[in-house]
Amino acid sequence: MSKIVVVTSGKGGVGKTTTSASFAAGLALKGFKTVVIDFDVGLRNLDLIMGCERRVVYDFINVIHQEANLNQALIKDKQCEGLYVLAASQTRDKDALSEEGVERVLNDLAGMGFDYIVCDSPAGIEAGALMAMHYADEALVVTNPEVSSVRDSDRILGMLSSKTRRAIEGREAIKEHLLITRYNPNRVQEGQMLSLQDIQDILRIPLIGVIPESETVLQASNQGLPAVHMQGTEVSEAYKDVIERFLGQERPLRFVDAQKPSLLKRLFGR
Amino acid sequence: MSFELKSTHWPLLALALRSADTQRLMQDWQQRYGDAAGFFDQDALLLDFSALSDSEPALADLSALLALLRAAHLQPVAYRGGSAAVRQQAAAAGLARADDALDAVQALTASATSTTLEPTPSTPTPAPERLAVGALLIDRPLRSGQQVYARGRDLIVTAMVNPGAEVVADGHIHIYAPLRGKAIAGARGDENACIFATCLEAELLSIAGTYRTSEVPLPPEVRSKAARVRLQRHNDAERLLIEAIA
Repeated sequence: MSKIVVVTSGKGGVGKTTTSASFAAGLALKGFKTVVIDFDVGLRNLDLIMGCERRVVYDFINVIHQEANLNQALIKDKQCEGLYVLAASQTRDKDALSEEGVERVLNDLAGMGFDYIVCDSPAGIEAGALMAMHYADEALVVTNPEVSSVRDSDRILGMLSSKTRRAIEGREAIKEHLLITRYNPNRVQEGQMLSLQDIQDILRIPLIGVIPESETVLQASNQGLPAVHMQGTEVSEAYKDVIERFLGQERPLRFVDAQKPSLLKRLFGR
Repeated sequence: MSFELKSTHWPLLALALRSADTQRLMQDWQQRYGDAAGFFDQDALLLDFSALSDSEPALADLSALLALLRAAHLQPVAYRGGSAAVRQQAAAAGLARADDALDAVQALTASATSTTLEPTPSTPTPAPERLAVGALLIDRPLRSGQQVYARGRDLIVTAMVNPGAEVVADGHIHIYAPLRGKAIAGARGDENACIFATCLEAELLSIAGTYRTSEVPLPPEVRSKAARVRLQRHNDAERLLIEAIA
């Protein structure tokens, strides 16, 4: 029975696609057959972040409209065994999505034996975002430590508990996880950014992890590599912790304390 | 038996007429509620003629007044008080006689001192029930963008009300958690409605139309503390009084 996990936020640019890519890759590295789907029709990015933009022939919309089947549209990842990408259309827009079409594709994917189906949601609260969350079993709510992101995440949480199939049919609620991204402990200490506790006080959902602000993310996307593959970096380690916690393991929170730069660093800058 | 007839209670809106001049009534209504499309939602209405003279002749244009009220999505269903001519006119217009309709405050006092109303022989004796309807109880947090409206009753919320959320009630509002959104009590004019919160940090507080935003910060004795908000009349002006709950 496959689990559908939506990566959503409300606010744009907080790290949904970065997270979807690393989360899906991380699960595949653990041996789970995983597919990651881009729901941002018309503004697709997932294929770029996954490094498979040159191999997109058929996309999610083609499959929904039965112009192609899943075997033709699914792109096998080159880094990870068991990881597949279903890209969005670049020429259409969100009106090309339909509830029945999305449901059929998700059921077909479950039938193909996928353990996890990760849905990369677009920003906003329109059809694309609603469609991405509609069939979810679990949700990663990606939030930056900044007021507008927290407000938007709160709105999205409201929608997860009222506009999804589980909510409408009165079934068990979607399991919500808070993922804080672009966290900079030094700026938190200086009072420029919201702290973990501030964010949790407003959103009040379990924290699954904190991804520190890092130049690694940009390097990774330029290379078309999910950040989790950048071995030894803080971002990679933080995403690996998230995967472990998602799978039920305990991991202490890392990269959340302000570092006092060493004497050398302070003398010579950076 | 295929049906059962029993006594039931339901709060009504009452329109107390202070003038018999229907033209003026309609003009004043337009001025006050003309722009508020969708304010009423097929609410049942009682026309209260008690303030008019005992010898008042039939009203000049009652049917036009009723039509205006219906156009505003109110449903005139009953009347009380008025001279014989006015009462006859109202009955002819299809309104039910509701002379023992009590105002909400009177009703509670009556039941407290346990005076019983003489039931008219044709109606079944009402069972002794609470007059006020129970509060609407919400146990889940209200997130940004969500709204709750407790129509005709009080509202109790036991989880946080986040910034961007709105809680509205015709009666009192009680929040047993941080109140950070908008709270609007006495939404249809009840000036006795209050707002209670265990942690008051509201964006906006309103009672019967008198409101206060968070632009002027709450005083430290009540900010983020257990507090009660009520409407106070002070030299003909109304203002919100916010007090800490000990």
